[in-house]
This record gives sequence, C-alpha cells and structure tokens, in this order.
Amino acid sequence: MRKGSKRCFFMDYIRSRGEEIDRILLYAFLIFTFALFIIVPFHAKTLKVGIAQNKPKVYWDEQGNPSGIFVDILDYIAEQEDWEIEYQKAAWDENLQLLESNQLDLVADVAFTTDRDKIYEFHQIPVLFSWTQIFARKGFQISRLDDLNGLRVAALKNSVQASLLQEMGKGLHLDITVVTATSFDEVLALVRDNKADAAATNYHFGKLNARRYNLEETDILFEPSSLHFAAPKGRHIDILKTIDKHLADQKRRPDTQYYRILKKHTSEEHEHGIPIWLIWGSLALISVTILLLVTVIIFRHQVHKRTAELKRANQDMEKRIEERTEELSLAMHKAQVADMLKSAFLATMSHELRTPLNSVIGFTGILLRQMPGPLNDEQKKMLSIVQNSARHLLSLINDVLDISKIEAGELELHMKEIELVPIIEDVFALINPQAEEKGLELNLRVSDHPRFIIVDERRFEQVLINLMGNAVKFTFQGKITLSYYAENNFLILRIEDTGIGIPNEMLSKLFQPFMQVDMGIDRKFEGTGLGLFISRKIIEMMGGSIEVQSEPAKGSCFTIKLPLSPQETPCENESC
Amino acid sequence: MRKRVLLIEDNPENFFLMQYLLEKGGFQVMGADNGWLGIEMALFNIPDIILLDIQLPGMDGYSVMRRLRSTPELAKIPIVAVTSYAMAGNRELALQNGANGYIEKPIDPDAFTGQIEAFLNSSNTEVPK
Repeated sequence: MRKGSKRCFFMDYIRSRGEEIDRILLYAFLIFTFALFIIVPFHAKTLKVGIAQNKPKVYWDEQGNPSGIFVDILDYIAEQEDWEIEYQKAAWDENLQLLESNQLDLVADVAFTTDRDKIYEFHQIPVLFSWTQIFARKGFQISRLDDLNGLRVAALKNSVQASLLQEMGKGLHLDITVVTATSFDEVLALVRDNKADAAATNYHFGKLNARRYNLEETDILFEPSSLHFAAPKGRHIDILKTIDKHLADQKRRPDTQYYRILKKHTSEEHEHGIPIWLIWGSLALISVTILLLVTVIIFRHQVHKRTAELKRANQDMEKRIEERTEELSLAMHKAQVADMLKSAFLATMSHELRTPLNSVIGFTGILLRQMPGPLNDEQKKMLSIVQNSARHLLSLINDVLDISKIEAGELELHMKEIELVPIIEDVFALINPQAEEKGLELNLRVSDHPRFIIVDERRFEQVLINLMGNAVKFTFQGKITLSYYAENNFLILRIEDTGIGIPNEMLSKLFQPFMQVDMGIDRKFEGTGLGLFISRKIIEMMGGSIEVQSEPAKGSCFTIKLPLSPQETPCENESC
Repeated sequence: MRKRVLLIEDNPENFFLMQYLLEKGGFQVMGADNGWLGIEMALFNIPDIILLDIQLPGMDGYSVMRRLRSTPELAKIPIVAVTSYAMAGNRELALQNGANGYIEKPIDPDAFTGQIEAFLNSSNTEVPK
C-alpha cells in the first residue's frame, strides 16, 4: 500500500517534473525497492549440504526428500539459526570431492580421522558414534578378524572401512580382497549376490538393513569412529561452532530433539518389520480371494438364474405338452365318437332303407305272380317297371353302403374255402335269362381248375355277377364267354364279350368310382358306376387283381386273378 | 297236415308280406311281435319252424334264439334268422346263437317259400339259392 501510494505520488511527481533524468532515478529506486522485497525474505545464510544414501544416518526417501539423523539434526539447528539449507544428493566420495573444491559448504556423515582433519574442517562434538561391523550371509560363520583371511570383503569406495581393511590385511598378514561399492546398499547386495563374502559397513546401516539382504551380524567389529559434519578446510568456522553449541546443548538431557531424532531413525525399521513382499502378497491374496468369491457368487447367481429359466421353460413345455395331450385325446375322442356314429349310421341306414324296399319288392313280386288275382297286360307291365326300379334302388343302396364301408375301412371279408363250380353255375343261372333276352350266346369254357378256392363267397359272387352283368349290358350281338383255369398258383377267370368295347381314354379311369361309359342326362346305360370300383377293391382285398383289355366295336376282356392259397392273414379290411 | 310256422317280426308290413307268402305257400302261420310273446306262443303251440327277425324290440333276436335253445321243449325246432345285408357279423352271430340258417332282407318273394321248405326238410346251415 505504502509502495503503491509512493508510486502514484512519484508518477505525479514525474509528470509534474517531466524530466527524463528524474524518471530514470525513479525507476532505479523502484527496482531497488522491488528487489528489496525479494531479497529481504532471504536468510542471512544458505548452506549447500552434501548428502549420500546412508540410511539411517543420512539418506533421501522415494520422493527424494532428504532424511536421516544428520538431516533432521541440521534442520533443527537451521531452524534455530534461521539458516537456509540446500541439500545436494550424491555418492559419498563425490561429496568429499565437491567439499574439497568448495562446491559444497558442508557434507554430512563424515568420520573424523587425523588425515581428514588435514583436508577438511570438523566441529568438535560428534553427531554420532559408529564403528565398522562385518556382516555375512546367513549361516556363514566368521567371528574373528582372522576369519577374513582369503575372503572378498565389500566396502564403500574411499571409505574408512575400505582403507582400514587394506591396512589390516597388510598388518595382520591376511589375504583380504576389498571389493568396492558406491553405496552401503550395494555393499550388502554384493555379499547377497556372492560377489563378496563379507560386508563392512557402519554399524547403524548394517544393523537396520542386513536382514533385507539375507545377511546377519558377525562378531567382527573394529574402528570406532565419530561422525561429524565436515566443511572445506578453513571455512564456515562459525557454522561449525554453532553446530557444536547445539549438539552440546542437545546431548545434555535425554528428552531433547536430538534423542528423539535418534530414536526415530534407529527404531524405524522395526516398525516395518513385515517384509514388503508379505504385505503385497497378502493384499494380492485377499484381492484374489475376494475376486474369486465374487466370481463364484456371480456364477452361482447365473447358474441359479439359468436353472430357474430352464425350470420355467420346462414347466412351460410340460404345460404345453399337457395341453396338447388333452387336445389330442379330445380329438381322438371326437374321432372315436364320429366313428361310432358313422358305424351306427351305416347300420341304422342299411336297416331302415331295406325295410321299405322289402315291402316294395315283395309285394310287387306277389302281384306279378298274380297271387291275389289276375293282372291285365298293362298292369303287368307297370308292375314290372316298379319291381325293376325297386331292384335297382336296392343295388344302389348296397353299393352306397359298400363304398361307405370301404372308405371307412370297415369292409370285412369272410374268407372261406368253398367249391368253385357251384358258384359259377349259380352266376350263370342268374345271367342266362338276361343274355337270352338280348339274343346273346353265353358260353362256359372250363380247363384244368382247382376244386376249392378260398374267398369271401358272397363278395366273390358279387364280383362275378357285376362283370358278367356288364358284359351282357354292353353287348348287343355275339357272345359272352366265361373261362377259368389255374395258372402258377392262381385262379384265372376271363370274361370276354363281343360288345361295344371301351375307348382308350376311359380305360385308365374305368375302376374309379362314379365312372360310367356315358354320363349325362341322356344316359343309355343304367348303373351306379360303382360296380367296378367295388369289384376291384374286393378282389384286391382277397389278394388278387382285375385287368381289362378292350377294343372299341370289337369287344372287351376282363381278367380276374385270385391266389389259390392266399397269405396267412388275408386282408380282412382295406388296410392292405 | 299243414306245417306250422312261428313268425316273430315287429314290422307289420314285413310281417304281412311273409305271412301272405307263407300262407299262399301252404303254411299255417302264428305270429308274435316280440320275443317274449313268441316264446310263450311256441310253448303254447309247438311250431315246426321258427322264423325270427334279428332286430326285435326288447329282447333281441339272438337272445330269443338262446332262450329257445335252452328251453327243452323247443330246443330241437329249426330256427331261421332274418338278417340284413349290411351287418356282416349278423349272419355268423345268428348261426352261433343257434340258428339253423338265415334269410336276407329284402326277401325274394319268388324264392321265399321254397327256402323255408328247404330248411324244414334238412338241417342245412346254408341258404339254398
């Protein structure tokens, strides 16, 4: 605020004066003031202090923050004295070199030796006492200096230990190979990796770190030393004096910062007694376990879900199956009922239809025989027509019922062994009058034939009558010949006529139901058109066949073939 | 001596037809329109031949035949069943239940009397043509 108002005032002053020189002076003054604000926070002293990795005496952590006994003590002193400390990290011997060349103000953790006292400046009171301890691999039994004979001993490069070992070797006539390292960690590592047999480190470092490298303390120790801050020769005397003053003060009582620092750095390791790998391992194990548990839970959940889904699907299926089965059984039931109804219908109808016909046929017959009384010609003629119509109606009914039965699969044959000749004779007797009426000749040609045949007698007769009747119906001159004989275990019956014949197109359709030679209103030939269809069905059911050959205007020939010994179970219904 | 025919038939027209033919053919005809009555009449006046319709009200023809066969006085009398063409099993069933033969409806008026006589004269199970 003060500065600002000063500036304003001066700006006004500049403007009012308006001279260049004044302006320059003013700016110089401002720069000076500004610099003062920067410089004033500076402490009187900034010290560049060299540190090395030498836990716990002096080191820096993973983040690079300087730490350790020396650092903490110096920090404490610096705070008291308002010093600014700038720590420089380097290897231990590097630090000494830098100190020699005045690039550092102080180096921490330097052991006092008379030789060194010539090169560097030391303060009086030691920060720490230490000695050299030999560490070896676990189980490597060495306990006396003499045991170092013939061994490779690792030591910090340019350190007290290194030179001591060399001297001892010479002095005690021991063959000691000194293997140097750039850090105490490396010293221990060398032994662990069997690049050296024993390690010489200061007691503090070794004690705290040996376990990590699988090394243990041996009973070999030597060269106690006091550890100080060192400054370049002849410099920073006052700093060192100040350090001494504080150290003396601190060491007087046991509850000072100094002892707290010591305790902190020498007992720290023990807090981290658990090896890192164990911690990480346990964490990993726990994580894996949790992961596994979670996975298991998820899987189980999935399995349960799937199982539930499957169960549901299963239930659905079953329900649908049940429904279908019900539907099916209903349908079947309906079909059975329909079937029963049809059978009942057929039975009823056949009976019902025949009963009135019985009367018609019967009484016209009686009348025509003139049993109740004489008839004139007209009456005879008319009654004949009635009788014929009745007979025709009867054959229609019979055919319709036959067809119904065939379609329903209910036509039954009763196969029996019968004599052939009487049947033929009966058929002949029936057809003869009709043939005579039309002036046709009816012939019978008999060759070698079996005496008995196995057929449904009534049906067989029906077929013969049908075919013979057709022959007569469709012939107007000439003759009809029935011949029968045995051939290859078959009975062959041939009905030949000299009738009008059957045109080619009709031949294939001949045996279909309701097929007639002529159809239409102007029909000349009576017939239901069912006869051939039924005849063929019947013959086929008996294990035989009907064939036809014909030539229009010349005649036709129907051939029936029947097996003489039908199969064990002849077709008793249409499911042949 | 005229032969006696017991005619068990429930349809009046059929009955009339058969009765007329039989009487004209020289038979004496007794009639009943159901099985119970038929059996009673048979016991009352033993016939020479029994003609019965399969389809009767109440007790059907087969039962009547069985009854007749199990009645000692009537067991030996020839029985002719009047069957229907469509019922294939009827003929066999009739024979099984004790009929000596069968005649199919519609009857042939010209042949009817002759058929009955044939049955009387022999114990053939076949229908003579």
